[in-house]
Amino acid sequence: MDVSLEGVRVERDGRVLLDVPSLLLRGGRTIAVLGPNGSGKTTLLRVIAGLDRPSAGRARIGGLPVDALRVAYVFQEQIFLRRSVRDNLELGLRLRGIDPAERGSRMEEAARVLGITHLMERRADRLSGGEGRRVSLARALCLRAPLVLLDEPLEGLDRPTYSHLLHELPQLLAAFDATRILVTHSPGEALRFAQDLVVLVDGKVHASGEKREVATNPRVREVAEALGYFVVIHDGRRIAIPPDALKPGPGDLEFVMEVDEVIDLVASTEVAGRIGEVRVKVELPPTSETPARGGRISLHADRFFELR
Amino acid sequence: MTDLLTTDSRFLAIVLRTLVVSGTATAMAVLVGFPLGYGIARRSFHGRTLLLGFINTGMGMPPVVVGLVVWLMLVRSGPFGGLDLIYTRTAMVLAQFLIATPIVVGFTTASLQALPPRLADLLFVLGAGRVRTMLILAREAKLGLAATVMAAFGAIVSEVGASMVVGGNLERSTRVLTTAIVTETSRGEMDYALVLGLILLGLTFIVSLALTIIQQRR
Repeated sequence: MDVSLEGVRVERDGRVLLDVPSLLLRGGRTIAVLGPNGSGKTTLLRVIAGLDRPSAGRARIGGLPVDALRVAYVFQEQIFLRRSVRDNLELGLRLRGIDPAERGSRMEEAARVLGITHLMERRADRLSGGEGRRVSLARALCLRAPLVLLDEPLEGLDRPTYSHLLHELPQLLAAFDATRILVTHSPGEALRFAQDLVVLVDGKVHASGEKREVATNPRVREVAEALGYFVVIHDGRRIAIPPDALKPGPGDLEFVMEVDEVIDLVASTEVAGRIGEVRVKVELPPTSETPARGGRISLHADRFFELR
Repeated sequence: MTDLLTTDSRFLAIVLRTLVVSGTATAMAVLVGFPLGYGIARRSFHGRTLLLGFINTGMGMPPVVVGLVVWLMLVRSGPFGGLDLIYTRTAMVLAQFLIATPIVVGFTTASLQALPPRLADLLFVLGAGRVRTMLILAREAKLGLAATVMAAFGAIVSEVGASMVVGGNLERSTRVLTTAIVTETSRGEMDYALVLGLILLGLTFIVSLALTIIQQRR
């Protein structure tokens, strides 16, 4: 189910939070909305869900006006009633008029897919971060909505739970027979989970399309930075370098890095510093000579993109 | 003491009158205060903090001052003197309603604000309409809301100043437990005053217990 925005503008206290002249998100795909904090990602999601009404323009789901009943929304925060997991899963189904027998089978299936069957009688508001996130996903899954919106689904989790869900989420997302739009500030998560990318910075869409196309053709600084690329000036040209493409030693596109910090990671050495004014990090193999803090090392980029 | 309770028919009338006046005032304050508190908790608008400041000040308003203001409004020479309400139970209900309402609004606002901030958003996206949202939020905040009703009832059933000023403590029509205690104490009928005091405590306990049962029910 396609989602489209036409002339959408959201303002609050005189500040423009979102300004999207036109955007089409293709149905049946996983779309990541990527951007730094405060870029309007959550506002975009809220407009699509009908939670925020734009001051101008409109969003449409499958060509129809937005309707919460066609949406399943996974909030960034864990929001539950002070009741059991079962009650929390059932609430949305009750509110949408699903009959009791159907409710039971949907809940059982969602609980099985998300691995929360053993949690069904526990108080939802007392679950751990990882358990709560699974219950939130299960609540969305059992609604069987044609559009699923996920707001920073891995934010605020402890490291082991994060790592676990990071690997599991693509599989879990596949369980939703729906268009999936997820919001994240992490380029790693966006590239891992999504088929399409939308890059949103300062409330404006700077790129949208198939992820490979966006990631290999960032065009402008905002997109490159949102993707986590280092943006440096070289011979008067603005160059974007993916972090993994910056290597020590000479090459076709060479830079000099001023070393600020050297961290011994045993298996490698992480060196943080600056190319001009741009802060960069590079990992040196253990066989390399460890540079001194305040010194300079030569780097090259084995992959880069020229920006406008 | 038992003799005192069983033989004095005035006693039962005073107890019933107390329940009717304070119960009615509490019910009215809840009817007005719950929606107001809900609106203040859910919406952000200019002057909200100032309004809450006024409401919270109102929670500590001396009942006798409220009584005085109501008396000035309802006395024959006052702006509403023509309604002929002064020294009636209606005047007492009105005064007690004015005392209870800020308590209900203030506590309701705080109870609802203590819920997860996005809970109403969740209910919206799950498909709840306005009324369902309000009912579910009220149920989630029932600990605080039941405490609100208890606090409001407790405050007005135990106040004496406003009831005395606007009700006039007329033996057969406006005397309630608190004003009766004052009267009996001034007459030197300390036993009777003490019994009335215990009855007032018992009454408050029964109402609070009933509300506590509702509050603690899972």
